[in-house]
Amino acid sequence: MARVRSVGKRWWVGAVGLLGLCVAAGAEPAYSQQSVAVRAGLVKGSLPVDDPTAAAWATASVSEFPMSPQVHWPVRITDVTAKSVKVRGLHDGTTVAILLEYSDPSEDPEDAAALEFMVGDTKAHFAHGQPMAQVEGGPVNIWYWKNKDGKGADLGAKGFGTLKPHSHQDVKAKGVYQGGAWKVVFSRPLNTEHVAEDTQFKPGEFASIAFAIWDGKKMDTGQPKEKGSEKAISSWWYFRADAPPDYSPYMYALLAVALAVGFEMVLVRRLKKGS
Amino acid sequence: MGGVLVRPIILTVCIYLFLKFIVPNLPHSAPLPSSLIFLYLMLTTAGIVIFATLSGASKDAFFGPILRFLTGEGGGALSGARYLVLALFPLLVGWQTYGSTASSDAPPGENRTIHPAPPGEYTGLSNPVPKTLENINYGKGLYASRCSPCHGNFDGKGFAAAGFTPPPANFKDPTTIAMLQESYLFWRIKKGGVGLPVEGMPWKTAMPRWEMEMSDEDIWKVIMGEYDGAGQKPRTWDESE
Repeated sequence: MARVRSVGKRWWVGAVGLLGLCVAAGAEPAYSQQSVAVRAGLVKGSLPVDDPTAAAWATASVSEFPMSPQVHWPVRITDVTAKSVKVRGLHDGTTVAILLEYSDPSEDPEDAAALEFMVGDTKAHFAHGQPMAQVEGGPVNIWYWKNKDGKGADLGAKGFGTLKPHSHQDVKAKGVYQGGAWKVVFSRPLNTEHVAEDTQFKPGEFASIAFAIWDGKKMDTGQPKEKGSEKAISSWWYFRADAPPDYSPYMYALLAVALAVGFEMVLVRRLKKGS
Repeated sequence: MGGVLVRPIILTVCIYLFLKFIVPNLPHSAPLPSSLIFLYLMLTTAGIVIFATLSGASKDAFFGPILRFLTGEGGGALSGARYLVLALFPLLVGWQTYGSTASSDAPPGENRTIHPAPPGEYTGLSNPVPKTLENINYGKGLYASRCSPCHGNFDGKGFAAAGFTPPPANFKDPTTIAMLQESYLFWRIKKGGVGLPVEGMPWKTAMPRWEMEMSDEDIWKVIMGEYDGAGQKPRTWDESE
């Protein structure tokens, strides 16, 4: 009996030990968190659609995604210049602007970058919306920029070899090369009339996004280092344009607090009466 | 407050801390969803209440201090704690309400099936290529040139793997090729990521459709090289009989 009492008194030692273990476990995260989504914040006033270096970009949250050499399709590449890309987004309720930033040791006319989106609710393969054996896939919408063109291009594809410019060009793009890195801003209205070809953005809802980067450095062969399907790519990640502020959750919370206070008052009153 | 309540409270807190911080750090474990932790705590609470109400005496001993605390009969030093609890409860309810009604910044969850069922014609195929050292080495050579950029040294950490989600499979992991038949690998290599059914989310995977570049015989050889290189054996039905 004495032994049992002795153990009973020491139960709190175990509890403190467990708490210590928890603190130790929580001090160092088990794994690093990488970005999974680009978040385009809602801004008032003009968007920096023509200025990748504008101060407004500093207010946008930044996400970073690793890039891989394109090895999915037979014309492959084994090493690419861009190992990762930083992405920021802003929108003003009518236009969305997305900024890519990545390292490139040299500025070349053939340097290029692209964003890719699914169109509508139909899933599309990240490699140009190529056909899938058991799933009816949809097209992709590609926003393309090449340094020597100095502008954006609005493209569509549904499978390799089907990439072509849309009859309507809704995408703008501008690149600035500074200090061994490209900053390229793409912009487009959040919604267009061409719902079958263009991705449409609904603020607050997640869309799929993928990235591609080409280092256009001229090699001894006279060809760019990266061209066509020889490029740095990512598979699908997420993009969301922030919805306007919604204050209704605060109202619901206040209502819940009032109901809880009322419940407490009734409960205590009845308990007192009962006792 | 009666000492009878202290142990249940400590027990509940300890179980919460264990589920929240210790379980995720156990080998082969993962963080538990908050809904599951909540369920476990509810079960704990229910168990405590059942235990405390087994008899009339234990019921009074358990609920008596609670009632006296809530009505303020205890008075003295506990009155401060009473007001604190009465203030915290509505705040907790409000916080929970806000959390359940505010929009989340988290992307939609993905319940991707990693090893979905193969089409019927690929079920139970046996490797027609003789398992000779020559064939295994030939398969390893093909693996080195075609597969290792993503799958690396059979560990899924090739130089081209970083940008892909889902990540390339780690063949040394006992939950990949060790639990699959050769015929399954034949299907996955031949048809690639785009051959997956909808639950495998084929639109996300970078696995090439190798039937465009390799003969069936070479694919079977790659499979042999893959198992040998990863130090794994294919799952067979014969062994379990």
